[in-house]
Amino acid sequence: MARSVRKPGRKLGLLTSVVILVGAAGCGGGFSDDKGAAGDSTGEVRMLVNITPNLTKSYWEGLVKPFEDANPGVDVKIEAPTGSGVKDTLPQLLAAGNAPDVVETLMADKVLAPQMLDLTDQAWTKDTPLVEQASLDGKVYTVGVGQQAQSLVFYNKDAFIKAGISAPPKDLDELTAAMGKLKAAGYLPLQTAGDYVTGLQLLQLSDPSIATKYPDWYQQISSKQAKVGETMLPLLERYESWIKNGYVDKNALGLKDVGAQTNFLSGKAGMYIMGSWFVRTADDAKPKFDLGVFAAPTEAGQPSPGPQGVTMAAPYMVLKSTKQRDLSVKLVQWLVTDKTAVQSQLAQDGNFRKGYTDKLSPLGKQVQDILDQAPKQVAQGEGYGANTLPQGFNGEWNKAVQSLYTGKSAKAVATRIDSWMGSKS
Amino acid sequence: MRARLTTLSMVGPALVLFVVMLVVPVCLSLYLSLTDWDGYSANPAFVGLKNYVSLTHSAEAIRAGWVTLLIAAVGTVLLSVFGLGFALLVNGASRLNAFFRIVLFYPHVLSALVVGFLWSAVLGTSGVVNGWLTSKGAEVLPFLSDPKWALASLIAVLVWAGFGVNVVLYLAGLQTVSKDLLEAAHIDGASKRQTFFNVTLPALAPVVTVNLVLSLVTLLKTYDLVVSLTGGGPAGSTQTAAYLILWDSFHNNALGFGSAQSVVLMLITAGLALTVARLRARADRGVQG
Repeated sequence: MARSVRKPGRKLGLLTSVVILVGAAGCGGGFSDDKGAAGDSTGEVRMLVNITPNLTKSYWEGLVKPFEDANPGVDVKIEAPTGSGVKDTLPQLLAAGNAPDVVETLMADKVLAPQMLDLTDQAWTKDTPLVEQASLDGKVYTVGVGQQAQSLVFYNKDAFIKAGISAPPKDLDELTAAMGKLKAAGYLPLQTAGDYVTGLQLLQLSDPSIATKYPDWYQQISSKQAKVGETMLPLLERYESWIKNGYVDKNALGLKDVGAQTNFLSGKAGMYIMGSWFVRTADDAKPKFDLGVFAAPTEAGQPSPGPQGVTMAAPYMVLKSTKQRDLSVKLVQWLVTDKTAVQSQLAQDGNFRKGYTDKLSPLGKQVQDILDQAPKQVAQGEGYGANTLPQGFNGEWNKAVQSLYTGKSAKAVATRIDSWMGSKS
Repeated sequence: MRARLTTLSMVGPALVLFVVMLVVPVCLSLYLSLTDWDGYSANPAFVGLKNYVSLTHSAEAIRAGWVTLLIAAVGTVLLSVFGLGFALLVNGASRLNAFFRIVLFYPHVLSALVVGFLWSAVLGTSGVVNGWLTSKGAEVLPFLSDPKWALASLIAVLVWAGFGVNVVLYLAGLQTVSKDLLEAAHIDGASKRQTFFNVTLPALAPVVTVNLVLSLVTLLKTYDLVVSLTGGGPAGSTQTAAYLILWDSFHNNALGFGSAQSVVLMLITAGLALTVARLRARADRGVQG
């Protein structure tokens, strides 16, 4: 007969095992503080990338193929996120001690920077888009392929003509007046949606007027000289009035982004605020109406066009823990400076970069003109580099703006966002 | 000595798996909940109970907690009612019943993400139902755009996707109801209603307990359907505890705070499951006594 196993010694043994295992798991992460190993001239470079309908795994593999061909013995292993995206996959890989060498999509902030390789001494980074704006305390961690214009209003030119609107609005009063005319002409004036779209659109619309009124908005917010909610209140009030006047669909929160795009491209709505990545979707859809785009209007009395919200397209970083530092840096340099690779990435995801205008569609050329004419390019929302808001701001802002649809006042929304900002300080 | 080795060789593999797969993650969550870990830093600072105190002050977390409890309570009742109801309807040996059993179980086989996207295409503002309504000149129904409607829609889809399991469990339970007792009730002139409440249902008591506990625990962890159907919206009104844990952990880089929420959710789930099991056990003893 087997004897009872319930002895204190065994309990202690079990506890010890747990402690050892917990300790091992806790210490097993790849939190190396070194600057990576230079590595060999051949071998494997693992790159964690964003996978979307445009940026499929096979696209990424095809993109890096010329690099592999030019560097015999080098294998670039494309890794798709195992979580819902790169942002939640990277911490998992770091914690498992299995971090990739290169990561695409994320931009360095104060949380990420300690894990990333400082690329400041790499001369080639200086000619890459937005590199200075994205630098953190003067150090370059993130380099990108191009720019995404954010403050754009795509519009149905046929609907504008039918509504008697002769030119795209230059200020927000003209925009509101145009909405009234579009509604009278039988169109939904502004297409929006639930998901991330609601808050994003208001951020995109606010960039020119906020950046004009508060040129150092991010610094004022971080030093508590100004509050997000208070500075955004006039825009929130305007948006609230649009909901009340039926200029946006009161049931729009039941739509996903794809549904909103379909509605707009089918000609039901007059305008759709979205970033430049929408150009690719719009070109592919070949709408039956004449589609145009104008820069988001400013507040009345402010110069137009105002500053343009921009974000870095296809940002890359090299992880400090890499064992293939030289190869990883070489790969990233190639991805953001090789003309063919850059052109391919710009075209694939509807992004922009000066000097790469040959293959733009007519709509794309209009966006490039807007970017060229903008007096200044500014960060948006959570931002990047020296211009940042706390992590999670975009999501919280989105929820707050959506609550305008569920009966909250603009003032209550402003108070809510300021309260959230306060809890993060 | 040999007996000990034999015991160890038999229990060991299971014990190692249990410790690695369950004990370690729970201990690690507990440890992380006492730190300010952001998911990246090498040395998260020990903050004591700060995350738990923050949790009690977080209006969003408290709201998500109530939403989760509401989903769990209403969902559990509906799953049991529909599960038992449909089990009674298809509790025969005919081919038609076999077909209906497959149909009823089918939604459970689908991925919750697929189910969510499917139903958002049906219930969305431009979805099938609203498309039909507007084509008839009727107003759009705010299935996913109004907070109360969205919560009701979420619960309805959760029940639709999950009640197949309850049907199967109740069908298995119905096979164990004594045919002698049913026959005796019939001979005594009991109506179908009387037979159900006085013979069938008491015999199903253990299955009811299993159903309630399984449904409750599953619904308290509701996450994937929220992601694909409502995205936690509108305005965060359908955020569940599990959804908020993931949101805070990875969108807000607050894994310490997310871990604290996980620990609290785990304790509440265990507490509720034990309470339901004990209440049901007491009720069962009452029936038997």
